Amino acid sequence: MRVKVRPLNCTGCALCELACGFHWDEAFSLISSSVLLYRAEEKKDYMGVIIKTEEDLFLGRPEGTAEMKLGEIQKQGAGGGASAKPILIRQTCDLCKSAGVEPQCVEICPHDALYLE
Amino acid sequence: MDVMYYGDTLIVDLPTGKTEQVEFSPEMLTENGPGLAAGIALYRDHEDGDPLVFGSGLLTGTTAPASSLGFVLGKSPLSGELAVSPLSLFSGAEMKLSGFSMVVIKGDSPKPVYLWLHDGVADVLDAAELWGLDTWGTTDAVRSEMGEQLVQVVSIGPAGESPSKLSAYSINYWGSGDTAALGARMGGKKLKAVALRGLGMLDAEEPQDFYEGAKGLLSEAPAWKGFNKACEGIDAGDIDGWLKPLVHRYRSCFACPAACNTFVKYNEGPSVMESTGVEEPGMLVTGAASAAWLLSGGWKAEPACRAMESMARAGIDLIRGARELAGSPLDDASETEEAVGGLSGGEEAGWPGGDSSPKGLFGPWVPPLADEDEWLLANRIGYVIGICPTYLLASGMETSGLFGLCSSAAGVELDPSMVAGMFS
Repeated sequence: MRVKVRPLNCTGCALCELACGFHWDEAFSLISSSVLLYRAEEKKDYMGVIIKTEEDLFLGRPEGTAEMKLGEIQKQGAGGGASAKPILIRQTCDLCKSAGVEPQCVEICPHDALYLE
Repeated sequence: MDVMYYGDTLIVDLPTGKTEQVEFSPEMLTENGPGLAAGIALYRDHEDGDPLVFGSGLLTGTTAPASSLGFVLGKSPLSGELAVSPLSLFSGAEMKLSGFSMVVIKGDSPKPVYLWLHDGVADVLDAAELWGLDTWGTTDAVRSEMGEQLVQVVSIGPAGESPSKLSAYSINYWGSGDTAALGARMGGKKLKAVALRGLGMLDAEEPQDFYEGAKGLLSEAPAWKGFNKACEGIDAGDIDGWLKPLVHRYRSCFACPAACNTFVKYNEGPSVMESTGVEEPGMLVTGAASAAWLLSGGWKAEPACRAMESMARAGIDLIRGARELAGSPLDDASETEEAVGGLSGGEEAGWPGGDSSPKGLFGPWVPPLADEDEWLLANRIGYVIGICPTYLLASGMETSGLFGLCSSAAGVELDPSMVAGMFS
């Protein structure tokens, strides 16, 4: 079971990042979440969602989804910009089990862009 | 005050280039109110410096529905009166997360500068190489300089530098709801841009109560894509149907269930989803009113979007510009840039078929979805607590839930009459 992405449902509101960040820090920020909204190519409107797990990253790219091993992403670089806390040092998704609740990113998304499978 | 109001108030003295950080006092909140009410109090405190105040609302940057809203407040060159314009998309939230809830920018700089706010640090930087660039070039240059594509850049183009009363500041590449020519005030101050990036953290006084309350509101909050829902009942035309052949995707402002902003592609196929070599495939249409004017004037969607892009690049108010262009639709996309260059600024902002007069402090960025009293209250509440007033009106969301969040966020008790009283 993991959180997956329907990338074309996403409208880039960042509520998933906020909810995940709150799960980890009990505060609102865009730096600690296991979910990262990729929005670094704004002029192209190229936007996606990345979810970090223990083993890999789930990439919800506009052209389709993919899973990428952490080693691969290290070579290619990812994370949406220099000051975006690099994805590799972020928390890994625990499906919110440590808080005893359903995955908050899935619950909070207004457009069903995230789901469990 | 570090609950929701992360960090300090920043005072920027442009004649000297010096900055001062002043603790945001709890008294400021209790005596004046949060958000725009605090911004107006700061404006009055520094009025001799003819300031621009950049600010955010109490809930800006949180999981409260549509908590995207920040503001720019200053004396409008159009009316000579105090006016407020929105910081939408991600700029309002990014400003708050940069470490500054309120920024007072006083006086005029002797040379072009830009203000860089990041992680509780404020720098006044030389903008000689930015002066003369359009807003797209400015956004690209600032992001390149910072090595960071997520920096939010509130900038002016040539129109603001001149400074033309037709000007407006732009948020990144996409124009803004500045119908008060506050872009011209930035130009007069030689303030080319305010760049924002924050990795800060906002704490709530009762975090779990706040989070659960916000999630409860979101679960019942209407979500939609496109402009039509936000223009229901007014004579704005079928904007979504008009744009449909060009639509790539819909985009939300920060934390908003509604995705009104519409990205249109006309330099490559709208259905192309990959990141291709086409660096500038189109335009994010962020304003329903400008689209409505061009639609009402008989423009085809593609030249209309190109005209909106030209206005955004030049730093021209898209609403007033579109209203002026509306009467002379162009079919040839190549003519639109020339037409934008010839704009005189003779039209007031407003909506097709509606009351077009500016409404005091607030411009017509928010559509007239209610009678004037309700519209005014939505604007006041929105700018005080940081919630998009268009979302408030179009969604029909009860404000009582949002006021409840103000209590768990910062122990601030509010109701509509209290907010109205802040503006008396």
